[in-house]
Amino acid sequence: MCPIMKHAISKQIFRAYDIRGLYSKDISPDVFYKIGLAAGTYVKQTMQGTQIIVGSDIRQSSSPLVYAFIAGVTATGVHIQHTGTTSFGQTLFTGGERHADLIAFVTASHLPPEWNGIKFYYGDGVGFPEDKLMAIRDLVLGDTFELASWSRIGQVKSVDARTDYKNFFTSHFTFKKKLKVALDCGGGSMTLSAPEIFTAVGLHVIPVYCDPDPTFSKRPSDPKPKNLTALVDAVKNNSCDFGVAFDGDGDRAVIVDNTGQILSADQTGIILGKYGLKKNKGTIIVNVECSKSIKEQLEPRGFKIKQIQVGHTFLTLEAKQEHALLGIESSGHLILPEYFLFDDALVVPLKIAEIIEQGKKPFHDLVTMIPTYPAKKEEIECADEIKFDVIRRLTQQLVKEFEQVNTMDGVRVDFKDGWVLIRASNTSPIIRLTTEADTSIILQDLTTKFLTKTQEIIQSTKATA
Amino acid sequence: MTRLFGTNGIRGVVNQDMNGELALGIGKAWGTYLRQTIPKPNCAIGTDARLSNHLLKSAISAGLLSTGCDVEDIGLVPTPTLQYTVKKKQLDAGVIITASHNPPQFNGIKGIANDGTELSKDVEEAIEHIYFSQQYTLTDWRNVGTFSTWNDAIDLYVKGILSTVDTNSIKKCHFSLVLDCGNGVGSLVAPLILKKLGCRVTELNCELDGTFPGRNSEPVPENLTALMQNVPEAGASLGVGLDGDADRAIFIDENGTYIWGDKSLSLVGKYITREKKGGLTVTPVTTSTCFEDVIRQNEGSVLYTKVGSPIVARVMMEKHAVFGGEENGGLIFPEFQYCRDSAMSLVKILEILAKEQRSLSELIAEIPAYEMLKTKIVCPNEKKERVMTQVIEQMKQSKDVVTIDRTDGVKLYMKAGWVLMRPSGTEPIFRVYVESKEKQSAEQLTRFYKNLVESLIQHA
Repeated sequence: MCPIMKHAISKQIFRAYDIRGLYSKDISPDVFYKIGLAAGTYVKQTMQGTQIIVGSDIRQSSSPLVYAFIAGVTATGVHIQHTGTTSFGQTLFTGGERHADLIAFVTASHLPPEWNGIKFYYGDGVGFPEDKLMAIRDLVLGDTFELASWSRIGQVKSVDARTDYKNFFTSHFTFKKKLKVALDCGGGSMTLSAPEIFTAVGLHVIPVYCDPDPTFSKRPSDPKPKNLTALVDAVKNNSCDFGVAFDGDGDRAVIVDNTGQILSADQTGIILGKYGLKKNKGTIIVNVECSKSIKEQLEPRGFKIKQIQVGHTFLTLEAKQEHALLGIESSGHLILPEYFLFDDALVVPLKIAEIIEQGKKPFHDLVTMIPTYPAKKEEIECADEIKFDVIRRLTQQLVKEFEQVNTMDGVRVDFKDGWVLIRASNTSPIIRLTTEADTSIILQDLTTKFLTKTQEIIQSTKATA
Repeated sequence: MTRLFGTNGIRGVVNQDMNGELALGIGKAWGTYLRQTIPKPNCAIGTDARLSNHLLKSAISAGLLSTGCDVEDIGLVPTPTLQYTVKKKQLDAGVIITASHNPPQFNGIKGIANDGTELSKDVEEAIEHIYFSQQYTLTDWRNVGTFSTWNDAIDLYVKGILSTVDTNSIKKCHFSLVLDCGNGVGSLVAPLILKKLGCRVTELNCELDGTFPGRNSEPVPENLTALMQNVPEAGASLGVGLDGDADRAIFIDENGTYIWGDKSLSLVGKYITREKKGGLTVTPVTTSTCFEDVIRQNEGSVLYTKVGSPIVARVMMEKHAVFGGEENGGLIFPEFQYCRDSAMSLVKILEILAKEQRSLSELIAEIPAYEMLKTKIVCPNEKKERVMTQVIEQMKQSKDVVTIDRTDGVKLYMKAGWVLMRPSGTEPIFRVYVESKEKQSAEQLTRFYKNLVESLIQHA
């Protein structure tokens, strides 16, 4: 009776941490119906679960996708709790409170508005790992779904994701000093939670792009330094105590100090670690890309620094297993498990505000106390077919040559005055080379040396391929 | 001829022939159709209380949104409530997810035009064409539709219903009723209306439940036995039984007697034409002659149509009819809206009882009585047209036959009554209806035509 879908589903939309694609080209309601069927089948068969909670960010294309997803899930007999259009944190928090088996959020995070996608978390806030996501992919591509009989079709319940979430923050944060904060939601999903909650906890908000703007017409939804000029100006012109910018869905926050200086995630992480944690014993999780200053600054204070591979799914999982106090991803995902395991960015500026309120000095003084090291990120083109092989061969060679070689994620070599990390990109035909060193001369040396080594291996791999 | 849409929308067994993929495709096809003439169509969507309502609602909504239509979800509602909302809010279309009186494993999709009536066959064909050819016009990310919810549809509808009748006269009577909603969406509306009309109500199966635990959803006598028993026990003035989506109402008199739909149709038709001193009424060819009798007594006239409530409604609209409906309890009140409406039927019957100050059984007793017999004859689809032509040829010679009518199948009017043979659209059968004043002659006519048609089928 039903005509089959015209286009095959592209395998490329299933990525390491989420599903992403261009709306109406790679992803559509048809594709999301199947993803819903697959997610429901997975929850039923593999997790013996019954419930998925789903919400979506404010992207224009979210509504057809989320309803198609809901149709697919309910067809398998799994129930849906639907939070509607929310920030990332609102849906994740509500999923945890309501003990969902799986949390799904329709978003393409910081990508331009023509993109959309979906990402999954477990009910406890741990990110859905790559191998499980690939299991869902295989169900989609293989059309292997378990449909329910009429009497067991999933039911849908609309749930409020605003009230309890807001109450959570007002019960954990209250500010007596009227701190002034410039808030840049970039017109994204954080417009639905951050302005209201900031005001509720007693902050004085200077809004920057705080009206919902699904086309991201005011600034791109990626909070890169070059996209934050309006925020920096707002901090300076209004003499704010600090500023914060969020990405499109609200899993990354970028902090700006009272002078308008934009902090890296590593700097923010160090400040949270130094002044924001209740305990001074315990584990802090960092990934292999993070600056060495984290270890230098936090280890002497009694924290154990554990290095892990790149990816927020590993960060959340490791934080759970290690009962960690803090997790830092150099890409900007920060977690404070005292509040949540998942990477809700809203907690970051509130914690910063707490630190500023408690401290006697202006925020900028705390920032300048952290040494920064020159660092570089290089991209080397390398075909998808050989990129992982190149890393393998390079590792074999480097293990022989150097003492401190770490193969947790790509290959990292540590020296007393610097380090280098070489990884294949999971998503593009690229090898990434990251270096950090005590001085820019050492940095240049390290970079050149390892760029050359990598190029040589690429050439020899090509030759044998 | 439509392949998906039947007499009342698309129906099927959930997750089999009525599944998410079909619903998604129908949403896209319909949205594509709407967008051919309207830049940003606004569609209402609602459902009955079946367990699969969210699945199908979500899938159709996704389809509509992806073509650039806005969708307004009005939640769980009777079908006439959705129709009223579309008309009243001047929306461009409506979708109701319901399989009406079908068993709970079924569900369906019914389309509503911007005037609140069910979609015409032409539109259904156009939608099917888009669906089967997959000529969808999907928008880019910028122009997809917006989904919103609206919770005031029932309130709007109840107010509308109450504004059409003399509520004061009804309230003064303090009617006592037994109401059986069959666990369908009528539960959301009928108790509320009756309360506002000062009635004392005994509720049967008035809790929403998509498994229909109380009774089967179709309000035929075998499903309303509890209701029939309860009315005299409760000392009630009447009983009313609704179908699953609350577009049809069947009444039980104070003695617990089931009143057939053509009797209640006739009672209301009589009352309306008497008030209006005549006027045109519309009903399908299957309706009992008792309806025409009472309408003519009140200087009114009857226009017969093919079977199907959307057809009756559209003809009523075109011809400015004062009243119309079907013999199954589906009554259409043009001053309110052009669709079957159980709540309207209910308040109208109460108004009649209040004004007449007589019991329902007395009023029904005044409607002329006829004997109607219904039977089926198996006939291969390809022989149907030939058999009908031969019946006409033979009957032209007969001196008993006064008129031959081809509105729907073949209807033969004669002195003793009438005979109608209709080919079924879905099964290889003829449905044969015979009506006469006397039971004996109805049986005779049935035997005669059954034999005639069966022998024609054999030789065709």
